[in-house]
Amino acid sequence: MEVSSLPISASVRAKLISAGYTSLSSLFSVSHSDIARDLKISENEVLEILRVASQRRGSESSNGTSSIVNGAQSAWEMLNEEESLGRITTSCSELDDILGGGISCKEVTEIGGVPGIGKTQLGIQLAVNVQIPMDYGGLQGKAIYIDTEGSFMVERALQIADACLEDMREYHGFLKRDLQACQVNMQPKDFLENIFYFRVCSYTEQIAVVNYLEKFISEHKDVKVVIIDSITFHFRQDFDDMALRTRLLGGMALKLMKLAKKFALPVILLNQVTTKYTEGQYQLTLALGDSWSHACTNRVILYWNGNERYAYIDKSPSVRSAAAPYSVTGRGIRSSVSNCKRVKMM
Amino acid sequence: MDQTRSAHLMKPEDLLQRLSPTRNQKCTVGCPVLDRLLGGGVPCNSITELVAESGCGKTQISLQLLLSAQLPTALGGLSASSLYLYSESPFPLRRLHQLSSSFPTLRNPLDKVLTHPLHSAHHLFDVLSQIDSLLSFRESSSSPPIKLIVIDSVAALFRFEFENNPRDLKQRSGLFFRISSKLKEQARRFGLAVVVINQVVDVIDDSDGFRIGNSTCLYTSERKVCAALGLSWANCVNTRLFLSRHEERIAQEVGDDCFTTQTRRFIRVAFAPHLPDSYCEFVITRERVFGLES
Repeated sequence: MEVSSLPISASVRAKLISAGYTSLSSLFSVSHSDIARDLKISENEVLEILRVASQRRGSESSNGTSSIVNGAQSAWEMLNEEESLGRITTSCSELDDILGGGISCKEVTEIGGVPGIGKTQLGIQLAVNVQIPMDYGGLQGKAIYIDTEGSFMVERALQIADACLEDMREYHGFLKRDLQACQVNMQPKDFLENIFYFRVCSYTEQIAVVNYLEKFISEHKDVKVVIIDSITFHFRQDFDDMALRTRLLGGMALKLMKLAKKFALPVILLNQVTTKYTEGQYQLTLALGDSWSHACTNRVILYWNGNERYAYIDKSPSVRSAAAPYSVTGRGIRSSVSNCKRVKMM
Repeated sequence: MDQTRSAHLMKPEDLLQRLSPTRNQKCTVGCPVLDRLLGGGVPCNSITELVAESGCGKTQISLQLLLSAQLPTALGGLSASSLYLYSESPFPLRRLHQLSSSFPTLRNPLDKVLTHPLHSAHHLFDVLSQIDSLLSFRESSSSPPIKLIVIDSVAALFRFEFENNPRDLKQRSGLFFRISSKLKEQARRFGLAVVVINQVVDVIDDSDGFRIGNSTCLYTSERKVCAALGLSWANCVNTRLFLSRHEERIAQEVGDDCFTTQTRRFIRVAFAPHLPDSYCEFVITRERVFGLES
């Protein structure tokens, strides 16, 4: 709340602001005799200003800007916050488009597909892209990568980081900005240093690490993404007690959602696919069953369409379901549409 | 979980350490062309699968690997012993001996290959559960530690034990994940390269939705095939390599009607977290297996 918006005479308002009383709270934090002395006006005039100011403050609070319950937010505030948090690009513009601009913060996004479709590639790409500096529209954060399958390859992460740096340098040259701060001083190895890598070998270890994340992120506030590759692997061994499995998975999903909310970061869960027998034929579906499908805010399914890889938004509260092609290249995840266009133009 | 293990677990691993040249993370196949295809060789801490019909050279490549793993790290090996778990035929000892002539620098190479027969999938799991002590014991003994496990073949183990009904299939896939999880844990703990051999089955219908890996369909000997054990097992391996063979008729110079056939073999990356879609031709001779420059 600003003094400049108070319905008082312009000269008094100017005096207030030039004396340093710019916000309403600053008016109420000192005695009215102090204000009278600072502005060289009578105490009655000060009381009149305070009366108007307190009226204004009262009406504002009944409008709902200050919350009823501590911690509650209005939808408007949430929208503002979401826009200020930014997103992580996937390095494929078509994929970013259908996701509403990239992977959104504060949400749990599940990505699944057949072996070899590029789940781990996308995971490594996001662990690299979260580190893009703010000057380049990135989050300039660090990544937590929980590897349950042993598919994270350092050599591949280096390749992807290298290509990401190259793109940033190209972008820098394109803008012709000579700001020192904008120079790309990062090395591919720096990207590796900013990935906190946990390798877990059983479902008990997986649960232990997920439980530990809250403490770890509180100590490493610059972590801006959590990636689990994959959430499924250790839960597909035959569990004697399927109810136990459902409980463990449910508990883990809640923890991850809480993390996403509390630290305003995206949680990416990579999942496997399995076949499901429905209506007389086998269909591909994400693993872990129906109860698990409620655990994530967004679900993205990766699949083959002829010789092209596609991503499909299966579930999302904010964007419509749509599909987009992408490709896995030596440089990482990239757009496949622009490649086609480029070929056609030539 | 004991205290030390959990303390170790809660500390993120330093990824830069994996780049240090002293820690060799790949095991040479014993041929520079094949190594190039694999980005340096068969990776440690990881499961690599060789899929092929019989007679393509799966066993040949893995036998050569048993020898090349013994090479010093400076030559791309792991300077290690290896463990060969086999289910199919009797252990091809004579062939291993034959191939060892291509590795003149190795001393008593057959001593550093441990073998164990397998009867069933459950037996495999039991054997894996019992070798922890073997893997860690040898780390302190004078003979080189085991750094390579070959399982030949995983498909044969599962073929007869399970019926084709939902209950058995569910049990089967549960066992896949248990075996894979155990192997990956050991690969991680002891820095092992794990190679599993799988067979193929013919593809009858043309459903495209089940495509796994870089090519829509796999052809070998003019048959359309896919890897055995289905989608669940495909989730259990990190890298899948597909071997194929093709008979080619070549005309003899003398006599018009006389043809002779030549077998050409190819190895292709079906999927891998670190390799692009690529392939190369390879040849099996009496002495060794090697790739051809394309």
